[in-house]
Parts: sequence; C-alpha cells; structure tokens
Amino acid sequence: MPQEPTTVQRALCVALFAVLYAVIILPPACAGQSDGKEAALRPYHKVSGVSGTINSIGSDTLNNLITLWAEGFRKQYPNVKIQVEGKGSSTAPPALIENTAQLGPMSRTMKSSEIDAFETKFGYPPTAYPVAIDALALFVNKDNPIAGLTVPHVDALFSKSRRHGHSTDVTRWGQLGHSGDWANAPISLYGRNSASGTYGFFKEHALKNGDFKDQVKEQPGSASVVQGISEDRYGIGYSGIGYTTSGVRMVPLAGKSGQPFVEPTEANTKNGTYPLWRYLYIYVNQAPGKPLSPIVKEFLTYVYSKEGQSDVLRDGYFPVDGALAEQYLAKIR
Amino acid sequence: MAERSKLMKDFWRGGELFVWLTASGVALSLLMVAGMMTLIMVNGLGQFWPGTLQQVTLRSQEQVIGRLVGEEVIPEAGISGTGASPLRYRYRVGNRDQFGSEYRWINEADIQSIAAPKDLASVERREWGPAYGRISVGTQDGTTASPSEGTWSTVVTLVKRANQLRRRIEHLERDEIGAINHRIEQARLARQALALKSQQGPGEAEEDRRLVDRITVLERDYAATTEALERLRAEAGQEVLLLTLSNGKSVPLSLDRVLAVSRPNAMTLLEKSWAYVHNLWQFVSGEPREANTEGGIFPAIFGTVLMVFLMTLAVMPFGVMAAVYLREYAKQGPLVRLVRIAVNNLAGVPSIVFGVFGLAFFVYALGGTIDQWLFPEALPNPTFGTGGILWASLTLALLTVPVVIVATEEGLSAVPPDFREGSVGLGATKFETIRHVILPCALPGILTGLILAMARAAGEVAPLMLTGVVKLAPALPLDEYFPYLHLDRKFMHLGFHIYDVGFQSPNVEAAKPMVYMTTLILILVVVLLNLAAVMLRNRLRRRFATSAV
Repeated sequence: MPQEPTTVQRALCVALFAVLYAVIILPPACAGQSDGKEAALRPYHKVSGVSGTINSIGSDTLNNLITLWAEGFRKQYPNVKIQVEGKGSSTAPPALIENTAQLGPMSRTMKSSEIDAFETKFGYPPTAYPVAIDALALFVNKDNPIAGLTVPHVDALFSKSRRHGHSTDVTRWGQLGHSGDWANAPISLYGRNSASGTYGFFKEHALKNGDFKDQVKEQPGSASVVQGISEDRYGIGYSGIGYTTSGVRMVPLAGKSGQPFVEPTEANTKNGTYPLWRYLYIYVNQAPGKPLSPIVKEFLTYVYSKEGQSDVLRDGYFPVDGALAEQYLAKIR
Repeated sequence: MAERSKLMKDFWRGGELFVWLTASGVALSLLMVAGMMTLIMVNGLGQFWPGTLQQVTLRSQEQVIGRLVGEEVIPEAGISGTGASPLRYRYRVGNRDQFGSEYRWINEADIQSIAAPKDLASVERREWGPAYGRISVGTQDGTTASPSEGTWSTVVTLVKRANQLRRRIEHLERDEIGAINHRIEQARLARQALALKSQQGPGEAEEDRRLVDRITVLERDYAATTEALERLRAEAGQEVLLLTLSNGKSVPLSLDRVLAVSRPNAMTLLEKSWAYVHNLWQFVSGEPREANTEGGIFPAIFGTVLMVFLMTLAVMPFGVMAAVYLREYAKQGPLVRLVRIAVNNLAGVPSIVFGVFGLAFFVYALGGTIDQWLFPEALPNPTFGTGGILWASLTLALLTVPVVIVATEEGLSAVPPDFREGSVGLGATKFETIRHVILPCALPGILTGLILAMARAAGEVAPLMLTGVVKLAPALPLDEYFPYLHLDRKFMHLGFHIYDVGFQSPNVEAAKPMVYMTTLILILVVVLLNLAAVMLRNRLRRRFATSAV
C-alpha cells in the first residue's frame, strides 16, 4: 500500500488551510511575511548526542532541497556529515534495500514492486515521510501568449494515447487558438527521462498512464527542460515549479474544460484547485516498534521544523502545513 | 596545354595538395579548440567582474535596480513590420527572497531613463543570492530595525567585523567541535565493538564504563563549545544593515548573512580589477553555498585531483606488470594475441559499463564484505559498503588499464634488442635485465601511458556517478584525523559538478556562468596534471640519455 496521503488527510489540509489562509502568497516571496501561516510549525531545538554520517540517495528533484537541509542541519550540528546523491527517484529503493543510504528521497510514492522487494529483505514496509509539496508546472516560452490549458489538452499535447478523451491530437499552436506566426508553428515538447519521478508522476496524473509521444525531448534534469524552453520559442514542457526562470512562463491549468484556469500558486495547490501537485517524500527504513537512529530522527525533525520548511520555500517548493508536520513528527518519535 | 598538364602532374606528384590537406586538419582542430575555449571563457570569466549597477525608471514610474546581463530583439514585434525592431533587456535584479525571481526582462519601449548612481550597493549574501539597493546602518531592537546614522565606511567596517566573527565561528565549528565529535564517534564505535564481542567478562565491563565516562566528559566539552558558539552568534546578530530596495521598501539584512558589500558604480578600474581577482580566488578556494549554485568549488577540485592520484597509484603497477609479462615473458602465440585483442577491446567498452561493474563488484560485493569483517560496529551504517573515493578510483583504474598496457608495450618494444642481448651477454638474469635495463629505457613510454590514463580519468563522469561522487560531500577525503586519508568517504568531482549545476539547479539562470567556470577549471586541472607528467617524462628522458647509453 503506497503511503499516499489519504483523502482524509487532504481534506484536513484544506480545512486547516482555510483557517490559516491569511496572507497573500507569492511562492518564494513569502519567507519574510509568513509568520501567520507557519505559526503551526515549531522552531527547531537542538538536542545533544547527535553525530555521525547520513547518506541520502534518490530523487534529483529533491537533490537541492536535501542539500539545503543538510546545510541548515549542519549549522545545528557542525560535525554531522551528510552525503547527498541524487540520480533519480528510482535509485532510492535499491539504496535503502542495500543499506547504502538511510534516507531515500523520492518525488513519487514507491511502486508496489519496490515495496515488495524491501519487505522481502526486512519483513516490514519502508516508511514514507511527505516533506514538501511540489506543483508540477507546464512551462512555455515567455513570449507565448497562451491563457491556460486544460488537463485533456495537456494530455493531447504529450500523449499518443489521449486517455483523457480529447478528440484530436494537438501538434500546432494554432490548434490552441494562437494566431500570427504561432498558428502554423509546430509544438516542440520537452520532458524528463524515465528514471525521474517527475516523469512518472506526469505520466500517471496528466496522461492517466498513457504513452508519451515519441517527439518528447527527454532531458536529464528539470533545469534543462526549462533551459530548453527558454531557448525554444515554440516549446512546452513540464517540471517542478521551483525551476522557473525569467525566460519561461508557467501556464495556468484547469482540471476539465469549462473550469477556470488556475495559477500554480501555493494557495491553489493547497486548496486542490490546481490539478498537478504532489508530495515529495523521504523514505526511511523504520522497523516497527523500534526508534530511528538519533541522527535520522533529528534530521527529519529538522525537516518538519520552521527552519526546515523555510528551506523548502527557498528551493521554490511549498512547505507542508503544521498539522501534517505534527502528525509525522509523532511518527518519528 | 602540354605545359599545363605537366604542371598538374608535378603538383600531384610533389604531394603539395597532401601537405595542405593535412595542415588544414590541424588548423581545423586548433580552431575548434580555440573556439571552445573562447566560448567557455567569455561565458564564465565575466561573472566575477563587478559590473555597473543601473537604476532604470520605467514609464510606469516603477524603479528597477539591477545589472544588465543580456538583450534580444522582440520576435513578434519585428514580424508585424514596424520597421525598426524593438529590443528588450534582461536585468539581474537580485533579491530573490523579495521579488520571487532573480532576473527580469524589460522592454526598451517601457524605459524612461537609465542612471547609474554611485550609492547603489551590491550585497553578496549567504542565502537567496545577491541583493541590490541602497544600504544604511540600522539597529535591531526586537524585530524591527530603525535607520540610524551611518556612512558607507561604517557599513564596510561592520561587514568586515562580521566576517572576522564568522571566521572565528567557522574555526570553532570545524576544528574544535570537529575534534570533539570525532573523539565521541570513536568512543561510541569502540563501545559498539565491545558489545559485539562474544564473551563478556569483567574486563569488558570496565572498559565499557571507561568509554562511557569518556563520552560524558567529551559531551560536556561539546556543550561548552556550543555555548561559546552561541555567544559568538549572538554577538554577530547585534547590528543590522538596512537595504532599501528599488521599490522603496526597506528590509533588514542581518550581518551574519552578509558576505560582502560593494558599490561597483563608485569603484575605480583598479579597485574593480582587485575585486575581480578576489572573487575569482573565492571561487577557486571557497566552499559551495546554496546547494552548489553559489560559492566556490574547492572540494570538487580537491576531489578530482585526489581521485586521479589514487587511480594512478592503482593502475600503474598493475598495467606495467601486465605489459611486461605480455611482452617479455609470455610465449608469443595465439593465446597472447587473444589477450591483446581482449585488452584493446576493453578500451572500447562504454564507461558506464565499468560503473555498473564497480557498483556491483566493488561497492556491494567487496565493500559489503569488508564492512561485515572489519567494521561490524558501524553497521547498519555502511563504511565501505557504499560508494567512496576508493571504489571510484579503482573503477577508473580498470577503465584506464588498457591504455597503460598498450603504451607500456609500445615502450618495451621500442627498446633496441641489442640492449637485452648485451645485458644477458654480460651475465645478467632475465629479471635483472628487465629491472635495470629494459624498464628504465621504457619509462618514457610508460609515462605516456600515465598521461593518457590521467586525461581519460579526469574527464570521466558516468562511472563515478555510480561509485561514489556526490553533490555535496561534507568533508574532504583528506584531513587531520587518523588515518588522514579516508578512502571510504564520498567526494565531489568537477565533471559531476558541471552536470549537476547545469541540469539540476533550480536557479539555472544564475548557475549558468558557474557551469562555464567549472568547465574552465576542469580543463585547467587536466592540463596541469598532464604538464606535470610531461615534465617528469622529459626529466627521465634526459637522465636515461646520459646514464644508460
């Protein structure tokens, strides 16, 4: 059973959000003004007796975030060593199984085959900690006049299966209502390589597990998707919102046609109106009934602290809210 | 007519055309190398120059402060046919925490005026990238900061003092706390090792008590040092700078977050050049910050060089011995020929295959076994059972061993047979002949192999990604704690740094020049390593020329 937050948890998020929704949220800009919202997150308190090495192997989407956490954590515990490796979410389960890492950051939930492999070795499933929220954005070149896209449109753009039921294949910008030099311009598609959790998530949620078109240019990193689109006037591609630059624009999305387009902001992500969002996870090997090793325990506590979640903002993702943090902090202890 | 055909004939026979053809080959490769170097240097070296800060007033009366970093023709406007195609400019406006993005495009048509006031300041911060604006001194009472008297020189003094304080904090963190933690970790591992022993007697119990006492004492030291650290930190946070942004908003900048301040518009050319050299040095010698997108790349340079040295230590004896056997001892026949073909083919195997082999054999099989036998006290945390500099070096040694074998064999075959015969004729055994006559003569060839192997190894990234390179390594593999060289540690590498910063960093616009600079440094490191080997070879050649003949 994947550790995906249940609908109850999501509903809880929404409810809590409604209570706490007091500030206008511009994604990275709210670090200075977020006191009201982050009130539920506790500041981190140092404990004694934490030392040793943490190895982290997994998602490249989380690579920077883990590094930022490592920098912050090391400010608290100067001689803790944290080694960060990020080659893609698929590298996390083998690393946890082979015991080469204590932390397995993943930008998707584990597949049941991966959980099975883990259970065969240890006799219990790995534990998932949702540590940040990522909205997946559709990026277009900054000159692209597009007002918004619906998920079926996105599906028709990227997939040859079109499981969302859009009637025709979309290959030219003219089909999305563009005029001028855009009308006949072919749409050039950018995506991630298949080891990436971003690829898996997009395939599952935007394409309903349909197949990608062969024309999608698979990039080795999220940043190179964005780089490619900022050079390519007719490009479109998907990546985490954290990777945005001045050369690209994020397309507002709508779940179905007829619904209003919504921007991928923190507010829209947390109230669920923006359709493409996900939790980012850290998987750990936590034997039932046994405490985590002190260093991993403190690292996760730091991640769920006020400081840790402000690092999330600094990397361009959205922090989890206080209630969720409390729930998982209880699980850590 | 006949004369002309004779001329043509001479031309073909003289081979003039061939000279031109071959020379153009050289010219083309030189051109490509020069072009690539220029591209890298133009894109990379510029970032350290303290360029002019502009204050742009837009027609909407909005103020923008930033550095002009690029311009382009607006494509659509040109098509609609207004004649002159309008431009737009890309400004680095900094203050990512305030504006949400560090760069911004401004259309030429929207600009009312551009000025470069001398009081604009550029602030390098520990977090959130650079900030641009006007700076004054404030005092921190509670959470609000109020402006107070302060000139530019007080700002500079304050920052200087904050930097001195930070150096002290870093010293405390790295050296003193580092030493204490190292000892605690040692004691803790010793206790675990004790607990793993099969028989537990009174001696063990006493030893355990002794270790517990030791840990308690060390933890007290640790607490005292961290307290001193907190005091220093508190001292650092006393005063703040006030940064007035382009939109008129004032934000407090706590001094422990500020690395450097400058007023580029008020600097002379000499001062700018000095700042440039300073920034460049910071880049080469500094630690990375902000998930590697800022700061320096020293750990990556160090990791690359150390890895190449370790690889050399592993590959040289191995490769030379194999070549000596193949050339001197083995009976030349189909089997040896087969071995040679196999070695040559090994050179053509994709490097990622070596990486997979390294991961499966060295890391999982060998490393896992070593952990169980030698480091059971640290389990389940792996010591050698995870990627590390030793495994990465050995994997690259495997990758480069064919190069060394082939080059050494060439060197051995170039030794004149007279030398062998003379040596044997004077009564030397085969081993003595090889040891004293043939190997010294073949040394330049062996070193050529070394040079080729180093060049190949320094530029290789794919196998390293599987066997021990990391984005962030907290400690260098070489330090002052026994056993000094920590072969089990993961390390940073310039090639991987390029891949990582270029493709993975969220703030990719700001990271782009870093990628070019890192590339330049990697090329320089390879050139320097090669130069060192070439000089060694030349010295040996001279020695050989005077002594052996």
